Amino acid sequence: MEQEQGTWLEFLYLIKLGPFDLGSLHIPRFALIPHWVPMAIPLSVFVAIMLAVIGYVGMRRRERIPHGLQNVLEMAVESLEGLSRTLLGDQGPKFAPFLGTFFLYILLMNLLGLLPGFASPTANLNITLGLALIVFVVVQYYGLQNNGPWGYLKHFTGDIWWLVPLIFPVHVIGELVRPISLSLRLFGNILGEETVIAMLVGMSFLSFKVHGLLVGLPLPFALPMMLLALFTGTVQALVFTLLTAAYLAGTMAHPEAEAH
Amino acid sequence: MLYLFGLVLAAGFAVSVAAFAGALAQGRAVASAMEAIGRQPEATGRIQFALIIGLAFIESLTIYALLIALFILGPRLPVTAEIIKLLGR
Repeated sequence: MEQEQGTWLEFLYLIKLGPFDLGSLHIPRFALIPHWVPMAIPLSVFVAIMLAVIGYVGMRRRERIPHGLQNVLEMAVESLEGLSRTLLGDQGPKFAPFLGTFFLYILLMNLLGLLPGFASPTANLNITLGLALIVFVVVQYYGLQNNGPWGYLKHFTGDIWWLVPLIFPVHVIGELVRPISLSLRLFGNILGEETVIAMLVGMSFLSFKVHGLLVGLPLPFALPMMLLALFTGTVQALVFTLLTAAYLAGTMAHPEAEAH
Repeated sequence: MLYLFGLVLAAGFAVSVAAFAGALAQGRAVASAMEAIGRQPEATGRIQFALIIGLAFIESLTIYALLIALFILGPRLPVTAEIIKLLGR
């Protein structure tokens, strides 16, 4: 029943509490995290906590002229705000926390798989689907809020009025496919990278006999793939953020939107 | 045995054809982006953003093919099954 999870956070599955007997209520012995929870969930919570801790520690003593960690954090926030402003125009800074959090969270989750003893939470479809559904809900909400219900429906019709019965389902399906494509793109990229690295690591272990003693020599054949995984992890986080921003820009008044 | 042969052939061809078609399409996208940058260097930032988004769309189709190949191979070939179980949590 106890399956090895293989990461540093495995101890959370092994801590057992109870049994508790509170008068009429009897709680049997249970584990802190049930065994059916995939490893990606505690890992993603770990990433979120790391981000919060880094933010808190960096901004504990705020100085006008930043040094050290505060400097790095301010650089990150400035560049993310610049990105939002480039993509969304005047409304950019309003969405900067949203887009910035997505970018940093997905980036750290992607890169977590390269550290020994960890795995990328984004290699699990549940995590990426959750992120994509959040984007979907937020985009629909802002579409309805900015354009009103009638304008929002007109968004799907296109310009030629007698083609509407044909164009409307196409646009609706295109809209519904967005969370699927967002989640599958991120999931497929990161899972593919992880699988290739795992296969290479499995293949690069050289074992031979020295004086009757079995000796193993691990070779760093997976290193180039890990460098590539650094690159694609960053690019996929950026692409997710850019696409979210593009979908948000599509909900705003069309003269401003640049990606249509 | 023929079944495994068919599976491996399908997975191999799926990813190769998808990679080939994807690379062709991405090459054309990058070529026109380079042309646009050459024509108007001050718009490089905006062209780069649009290029990255376009490349992501094209690449995601290739990734779909890879996913299907992995699902085809998934639990039926011994080595892949072990690897997927290692990553499967």
